[in-house]
Amino acid sequence: MYTSSLHSRHCHIQRGAPFWRPLGIRQKHTRWCKMQRFDTVRVFAGEVLLEVKDLEAKVAETGQMILRGVNLTVREGETHAIMGTNGSGKSTLSKCLVGHPDYEVTSGTVTYKGQNLLDLEPEERARAGLFMSFQSPVEVPGVSNSDFLRLAANARRKQLGQEELGPLEFYGYVMPKLAALKMNPDFLNRDVNANFSGGEKKRNEILQLSVLEADIAVLDEIDSGLDIDALRDVADAVNSLKRPNSATLMVTHYKRLLNYVVPEAVHIMEAGKIIYSGGIEVADILEQDGYEGIKSRMREEASKQPVSA
Amino acid sequence: MLGHLPEVASQQAYRQAGQHFVPGPACFSGRQHPGTLPQQTRKGGLSPSLQCWGISGGQRSPRLHALPVLNSSAVTDGAAAGGTEDKWIARVLAEFQPSDESPPLPYPLEAMQTECTSALRTQRMPTTRNEEYRFTDVGPLLQIQPQVASPLDVDGEAVAAVSEAHSIKVAAAKIVVIDGVVSDQLSSTEGLPHQAFVGSLRDAPLDLMAQYLGQQARTRGSPFAIVNGATAQDVLCVYVPDGVHLDKPIHVLYIPSGHSTMAAPRLLCVLGTDAAAEVIEEFVSPATDFSTPHVTNALAEMELAQGARLKHGYVCLEGRQAMHMKGTLVRQAASSTYKLTEARLGGRLTRQDVNVAQEGEETRTEMRSFLLCGDRQLHDLHSKLRLEHPRGTADQLHKCIVAAGTGRGVFDGNVRVEQKAQKTDAGQLSRNLLLVPRATVNVKPNLQIVADDVKCTHGCAVSDLEEDQLFYFRARGVDSATARRVLVYSFGAEVTTEWPYQQLRDRIQSAVDLALANVPIMESIESEPVEV
Repeated sequence: MYTSSLHSRHCHIQRGAPFWRPLGIRQKHTRWCKMQRFDTVRVFAGEVLLEVKDLEAKVAETGQMILRGVNLTVREGETHAIMGTNGSGKSTLSKCLVGHPDYEVTSGTVTYKGQNLLDLEPEERARAGLFMSFQSPVEVPGVSNSDFLRLAANARRKQLGQEELGPLEFYGYVMPKLAALKMNPDFLNRDVNANFSGGEKKRNEILQLSVLEADIAVLDEIDSGLDIDALRDVADAVNSLKRPNSATLMVTHYKRLLNYVVPEAVHIMEAGKIIYSGGIEVADILEQDGYEGIKSRMREEASKQPVSA
Repeated sequence: MLGHLPEVASQQAYRQAGQHFVPGPACFSGRQHPGTLPQQTRKGGLSPSLQCWGISGGQRSPRLHALPVLNSSAVTDGAAAGGTEDKWIARVLAEFQPSDESPPLPYPLEAMQTECTSALRTQRMPTTRNEEYRFTDVGPLLQIQPQVASPLDVDGEAVAAVSEAHSIKVAAAKIVVIDGVVSDQLSSTEGLPHQAFVGSLRDAPLDLMAQYLGQQARTRGSPFAIVNGATAQDVLCVYVPDGVHLDKPIHVLYIPSGHSTMAAPRLLCVLGTDAAAEVIEEFVSPATDFSTPHVTNALAEMELAQGARLKHGYVCLEGRQAMHMKGTLVRQAASSTYKLTEARLGGRLTRQDVNVAQEGEETRTEMRSFLLCGDRQLHDLHSKLRLEHPRGTADQLHKCIVAAGTGRGVFDGNVRVEQKAQKTDAGQLSRNLLLVPRATVNVKPNLQIVADDVKCTHGCAVSDLEEDQLFYFRARGVDSATARRVLVYSFGAEVTTEWPYQQLRDRIQSAVDLALANVPIMESIESEPVEV
């Protein structure tokens, strides 16, 4: 199994997770754990939530190859960031993860909580706790936000074996979440994204993330089109929604988001592949020297250890 | 999506499956289920209801001639009573002939009546052989015997209750029109500024109204507009002088008394320079279980002076036995804005003829329509917009759901951009949903462009919801069947959300819910090949 060197022991211990643990005694994920082979001992605390292996994908309509072998492992409690030039495949990767019909996976695997993610329909992926925020959320005039959120929340709750919420109960459920995200209750009465400003649409995505209580959040350019204050609000909201057993995968162009939502790992994508991974310092290099800076660092490292890789 | 027609199965495949492909304007039918439909339903190429309407069922070939066209006898009988060509017109004129006891009409109305009556003497009502009425057979309408009740017969209490039930809270004025006559008792205009006039022609500034009344109908009106001119008993006048802005809507409620089988409500709306107003016309049924066939033949003439802005709402929630003809004639001077928002759910046979003429530069015209055709309903929208001056903009959105195999939607949207109309920006989009097999729409969005420096788009889509919206639901865990259902129910909202009036929207939504209550909303309507 690919284990990233970035998972410092320090960070996991700090989160209070035991150093090792047999799988059987965990309550939280018994459902999917059953499907897994029983390894008795895990070295690192965070379970692997999402594992992408050699993923290749093309545009369904034109057949144009976009992803050319992406490898990525995300564990519970982690925050990852993916950066890369325009057209490098960042957004395609997030769309493939949620099963967008515009893209077709041609080879490779994606394992989510031990399950083959690619076998699931988009709605099943969402119910299993995978969430993607849309870069430009679509407007749905005529459907109120509260109805939409309730439909989504109930689909997820049904999956988790929880009771579905009626309109009034849902109100009680969603109000504290709105308050926690410092959002106007007025949001609920408006039609889904209809006549929303760019910032409001992004906030609405975060509200959905909060209502769905997703286990892994894929945030596709959640910072684009936001002013500084709105960016801070959205970032605070993302931070507040983190749980020890959830993970966040951010796709972004700029480091400014990463100043607020600090990732453990930063991946650089180019031409459909992750070409370099590192800690937050990678984003600093990028900010200073651009993608050329990353490449020169890669060359440097390659010259240092020519054989071991 | 724009300018792109969805792929349909080949003409051959349609024929083999018992579906008749109509050449000419785009014509689509819902997916066929030869294997799943009961035999007798599949057998007849025409559904029973269509036959009883005398509609050719979208077929143009030999069968058209074999079927009796209901009003053909009226046409061939020729000059019947009083030297009038058309039998139905003769009956209408006889019924509406002013008696000695009837009170004198205001002089502009009388003049119009005389003119239209003489025009009708040589006129014939259209049949499906007229291109304009090719898919809309007005035969059933012409079978209704015109009858006019005396105003004394009207049950005041019942009408008052209907009026009460249909309100718009914020409206500055509410005008109730019963059988085409403005009811002073039920109307109120208290919220209006004193400069504006809203009320019957009897009380209106006559000389001013005489300049406009019947002007547009004379040159650009349909045959039904002429009939309206000859039969109108009253005219509702809206006059907003120069520079006056009405920030709250004028709500006009049309109620048939239930005793007359024919009414001809007429509206004349005159907006002065830089004036602004919103007029919402709502046509309703006198009772929920009202089932007497009747004709509503309404007409509205809108005059917009330079810089004027008019928002025009048109809602048809009439009973399922109503034959509803509506003409809307608009004249726009330079820099004026006309915005039509329409929702049509009621009636059995309904048609709106919108005709917009541009009199100056930089006009703005917006038309949004939502039509829902249920069991045995036909909704027709014919719009004509002629741009003859530079820098005009036009934007039209037509959305239609056909929720029954016996339902039909017809749309012919014509935008003509003349040589002089350079820098025009015109867009037109028609989206149609066919929810069941045999549901039919005949759509013909068309742009005629003579000018060479323009930006024009048009498009038509049949039988698909927006994929992006569907995926958005699915990405949030909602299965596609539920998502489809929600999206179909809210299909018209893109149009109806133009009205910020909750009560009006609730009335429309409950009509939508009722119409869709028993409709199976299929997983996906297109994409499956026709079985042979």
